[in-house]
Amino acid sequence: MSDLTRRDFLKLTTTALLTISGALGVGALFRFLDFQTEPPVKTEFDLGPAVNYPIGSRSLVPDVPALLIHNQNGFSALSLVCTHLGCTVEQKDSGFECPCHGSRYDANGKVLRGPAQKALRALRVEVNSTGNLILHTD
Amino acid sequence: MKRFIALGSAILLLAVVAAWWTNSRQPKPIVLIPTLTGKPEYCLTCHSDLREISPSHPVKTFGCVICHGGEPLALDANLAHSTMRGGANPSDLSVVQESCGGSNCHSGSAADNNDHIQRVMTSVQSTYAGAIANILYTFGVEPDLTARFGIHAVTDDVITTTTGLPALQVFDPTKQTNPSVLKFAANCLNCHINAQPLPGSQFDRLTGCAACHTPDVESFPKGQIHELTTAIPYTQCNTCHNRGNYDLRTMTFVQRTDQPLPTDRLHNYYQPIAQFTKCEYTLDCIDCHTRTEAMGDGDIHSNMKQIQYIQCQTCHGTPTQLPQTKTLTDPNDIAFRLAQLNPVVDLKLGDTILVTSKGEPLWNTRVLPDGTYQLVGKATGQVFTFKPVMGSGCTQNGIDQSSAYCHTCHSVQR
Repeated sequence: MSDLTRRDFLKLTTTALLTISGALGVGALFRFLDFQTEPPVKTEFDLGPAVNYPIGSRSLVPDVPALLIHNQNGFSALSLVCTHLGCTVEQKDSGFECPCHGSRYDANGKVLRGPAQKALRALRVEVNSTGNLILHTD
Repeated sequence: MKRFIALGSAILLLAVVAAWWTNSRQPKPIVLIPTLTGKPEYCLTCHSDLREISPSHPVKTFGCVICHGGEPLALDANLAHSTMRGGANPSDLSVVQESCGGSNCHSGSAADNNDHIQRVMTSVQSTYAGAIANILYTFGVEPDLTARFGIHAVTDDVITTTTGLPALQVFDPTKQTNPSVLKFAANCLNCHINAQPLPGSQFDRLTGCAACHTPDVESFPKGQIHELTTAIPYTQCNTCHNRGNYDLRTMTFVQRTDQPLPTDRLHNYYQPIAQFTKCEYTLDCIDCHTRTEAMGDGDIHSNMKQIQYIQCQTCHGTPTQLPQTKTLTDPNDIAFRLAQLNPVVDLKLGDTILVTSKGEPLWNTRVLPDGTYQLVGKATGQVFTFKPVMGSGCTQNGIDQSSAYCHTCHSVQR
């Protein structure tokens, strides 16, 4: 058996408690300073290889939501967020219609019928060095 | 000293463990960042089982907090609910401006047809001005039937009709001395959309906008009432309008005597004494009565008659005149927006529909190529066809075409 005296035991216990409390306190402080309620909203979307989107295609990107258009002029994209209150518009006939309040847009996103007043937002698309399409929403 | 430090450390350690334990018992938050606000809220952590309130208010776009208020990041139920607007009913008129209002929502301009709150706040459905004015006149308190008081005080800066009033003061029973008026105040102020309903399932409804737009309250499990609709069945109107009568001698509400209420519409729709035609008990109230009649036109009126104007002739015309119609040529016509909110008809540019004498579109109607008319029930989707009076055997004088005259020949016997 060791020669641990009552005094040594109390000293050891005190030191241990202080060390654990200090570590927890520092940990909590870091967590507090590092706390983010939510991660920042994603504004860049990798859509994969550009060759997957042939000329003439109009591809839905539901995560954004957006419509990726590839025509003779290159790639472009339209936000599918209604400019009235932010519902996701649906493709209908040759344009788009908002299921919430009935706004209608033509195939290029121009307003045909209110209550929306502004056209659907055009989004920036670029091809990166690996040949992937990157869609920007900012 | 060292003992105090050790004790302090032990307490701190216990507190940290307790905090960790409490935190570990909290549910893992379900985060929603609505498109409209862009601010995270945790309401779905507990309420993910709630159905969408309506196609016009998807939770992904609106979230919960913009309507209900509350603490968006709280995971404790009491804290989360502590700052909710109107309790479970944010459409209660005491909070409706903060919850349903906003220039993009329901307190926009009259030109955009988005002034719902202004119209409801001034309408007789919420002021109860007609009943109050009638009682005050009947018992000699006021010299005429012009309304001066409402359930709540209200003003109107833009008067657009000949019967519009600039303001109403709040009806304060403590300033009354007439015993009948006092009894009226005690027993009869429950027939407006600010008031809680009378006890009994046949009276079940909410207050504010939800009084009409949240039908069939009794069919929801308790606390799960989450629906807004413009397809309002007649049964919802009946929670106020078909329940009985106020007895002016005793100043009490007397329920219908045919309890339990008959289940077939012919006998349920109207009180036994009333006269009615087939379409009045076959259709729902909103198939004929317009949004202006139901929600008001933005002016303060002295009674219901000043705002209710739909007659049989609105749809049927007179022996000498066809009903008014309109061909839809403007894609922004309000008819399209109304039809979109309750898609029982697929309205298209070029369709010809009936319109009221004030120009309100009866968007659920259509003029058919053979000159007859079609109406689709807003709450049922049922299709009805009908003919104009002109060309029929009706010999009624063209100017005597209010519904009372039509009832003389066309009322249904029970």
